[in-house]
Amino acid sequence: MIHNKAIITFLLLVGAFLVSCDKVRTAQTAGEQNAARLTYWCASNQDEINLAQELVDKWNRERPEIQVTLQPIPASQSSEEALLAAIAGKTTPDICSNMWPGAMDDFTSSGGLVRLDQFPDFMEYLQKRMPAELLESFRAPDRHYYQIPWKTNPIMVMYNKKMYREAGITQPIRTYSEYLSAAAKITRDVNGDARIDQWMGYRDIRPIWWQRLFDYYTFYIAASGGATLFDSTDIAFENAASVEVFRFFSAIYKNGYYPLTTFQGDAFLAGQVATQFTGPWNITHVENFKAPGFEYGIAPIPVPDDYTGLVYTYGDHKNISIFSTTKFPSAAWQFAKYLISAQADLRLLEICSQIPLRKNLTTDPLYREYFRDNPLMMQFAEQAPYTRGVDGSSVLKEIFDAISQEYEACAVYNKRIPEEAVANAAKRARVIVAWSHR
Amino acid sequence: MNSSRSNVNKMGNKAGYLMSLPYVLYFFLFIGFPLVFSFILIFHRWNIVTPMQWIGLRNFYRLFHDVQFFISIRNTLVFLVIHIPLQIIIALILALLLNQRIRLKGFFRALYFLPVVVSGVVITILWQQLYAYETGLLNLLMTKLGITKIPWLINTNWAMPSIAIMATWKNVGLYIVLFLVGLQGIPRYLYEAAEIDGAKPIQQFFHITLPALNSTMVLVVILSTIGGFSLFIEPFVMTGGGPINSTLSAMLYIYNQAFYFGHMGYAATLGFFFAFIILMVVLIQKKFVERKD
Repeated sequence: MIHNKAIITFLLLVGAFLVSCDKVRTAQTAGEQNAARLTYWCASNQDEINLAQELVDKWNRERPEIQVTLQPIPASQSSEEALLAAIAGKTTPDICSNMWPGAMDDFTSSGGLVRLDQFPDFMEYLQKRMPAELLESFRAPDRHYYQIPWKTNPIMVMYNKKMYREAGITQPIRTYSEYLSAAAKITRDVNGDARIDQWMGYRDIRPIWWQRLFDYYTFYIAASGGATLFDSTDIAFENAASVEVFRFFSAIYKNGYYPLTTFQGDAFLAGQVATQFTGPWNITHVENFKAPGFEYGIAPIPVPDDYTGLVYTYGDHKNISIFSTTKFPSAAWQFAKYLISAQADLRLLEICSQIPLRKNLTTDPLYREYFRDNPLMMQFAEQAPYTRGVDGSSVLKEIFDAISQEYEACAVYNKRIPEEAVANAAKRARVIVAWSHR
Repeated sequence: MNSSRSNVNKMGNKAGYLMSLPYVLYFFLFIGFPLVFSFILIFHRWNIVTPMQWIGLRNFYRLFHDVQFFISIRNTLVFLVIHIPLQIIIALILALLLNQRIRLKGFFRALYFLPVVVSGVVITILWQQLYAYETGLLNLLMTKLGITKIPWLINTNWAMPSIAIMATWKNVGLYIVLFLVGLQGIPRYLYEAAEIDGAKPIQQFFHITLPALNSTMVLVVILSTIGGFSLFIEPFVMTGGGPINSTLSAMLYIYNQAFYFGHMGYAATLGFFFAFIILMVVLIQKKFVERKD
């Protein structure tokens, strides 16, 4: 009996304590009662979480009328999967800064996103920030904007300087012939055990659609002078540039310049491969984990020998969108403008090693010191205006899958000639598009 | 008297209903509802976020023209043809050995069962590294022994057998346990009688052990067939379905259609069609393997 009384008294005390705590909290936040409350999802890598946390903390201090709660995108195979699940479950955030343009069609057709050009200052703000031509490329098929172009990660060649030197390569590689010739010198048995243990490069050979963004597609954009897979609404990759790219990778695998192994870990940092196709985000990783004395450089994507003109590449853009579930679209737009402000862009460079989509980036005095201290980032920044994204199509993944199947058959296993493989991929892509319109 | 018995019965019924309620709820929520919903999806196009669109039997039209799906079914059958006999033979041999009076019997049983309880993804990544053509341990050993390297996962003829070997290694422990249970249920006097009649061990195996294990064999064949049909993690992690679709299993293809490409309706159609194939195969197997006596 005494035991029961003690339990009841204890529970009453705990209850009273919790109620008093709640009252204190209510009093503390009385000033924020009318504040707009936003949930903001950022990418789930640590650098971007750090950046977002810093920006959100500063914003919350300075703008008590709009309070933001930060949450990294929930764990999933990809951000797009997590966002699609959130749209289906009506649990989307107010704003998200990891929107891949290739998935926009799904988001917009579901009515999941706020039309951004409804805000009176949207066009003016964005036109001040970035080149008009680049801004235009992010317009949706209905001629409206649902994404705020934020950052790019131009894919370039990162190479091991020591391995280049040892192979007698003194100039950055610019063409397919130069790359293959260098590969013939670099790919070899270093320790004399009759097994090749050093290769020119490495790519994941599994037929996974998004892997092709970083080999076939990057090289296709470069070889074609900036073309993408679609020309308006028609399939446009059945051309000489695609054939050249397939032939180039076919030569690489036929000669064993890339291994067919699936590596666990970073083969570039381990000194097993001389080159990798990567974006500026990788600089932070390489700097953090490189061995003492490890030297590396950056070069544009190689192009066919007869190619002339500017070298374009895949931009791997990530943008900001506001979800239509938000109760505070104007507040979300205010916060989005803050995320792409000049100062926030500087922190994006400093913390994440990623390139903001901002015109005059390399000449703006605000960023001069950063680029002086980070010359490799300067190369990525100079490449940034010459990037292309992906087409906004609901069947883009399937088309990349079709390309991936043919790439594997032709380039990796030499079972088809490049012309036939490209024709097959284009034929399949047209069937996919036709099916999607039925 | 009758009234009190009726009250007890009613109370018993209530308790029974209450106790079965969690499973009934679970069944309707996670099996019944998805099953009915998937059936509805068969006649729709749906990518999770946009509204469902009625397309009648168009998913079936697509299915019967989908070459890749039939390749994935063929691959799955190839896997089963290699995996099931391999698994049964190895499991039976090891079970017969473990059924003898040997030292460290418990240790060996645990050892063979260990891969069954380890995460499938962990094992798959481990074997992916063992199988690696240029850097893998298996090819390193073969090179040292002067044997030509095997393109385990990068050759269309080798990739599926390699996956079948790995899957057998992972699952054999479970089937050893099942066979052991079966072996221990065979009366000892049958062997003693056979010995008196002059039957040799091999004759005892074929005329006593194997027939007595028939019900276990049916169970093992059905379980490994159903398990084999659900082949997914191994090709998903190791090969992505390659090289040139040679390890693209039906489950992997259905997964890609649903979760990569957002064709929920089509994936549901493939799922039902595939379930029908599994049912047919299991019924045929049961007819051939099961002995009436």
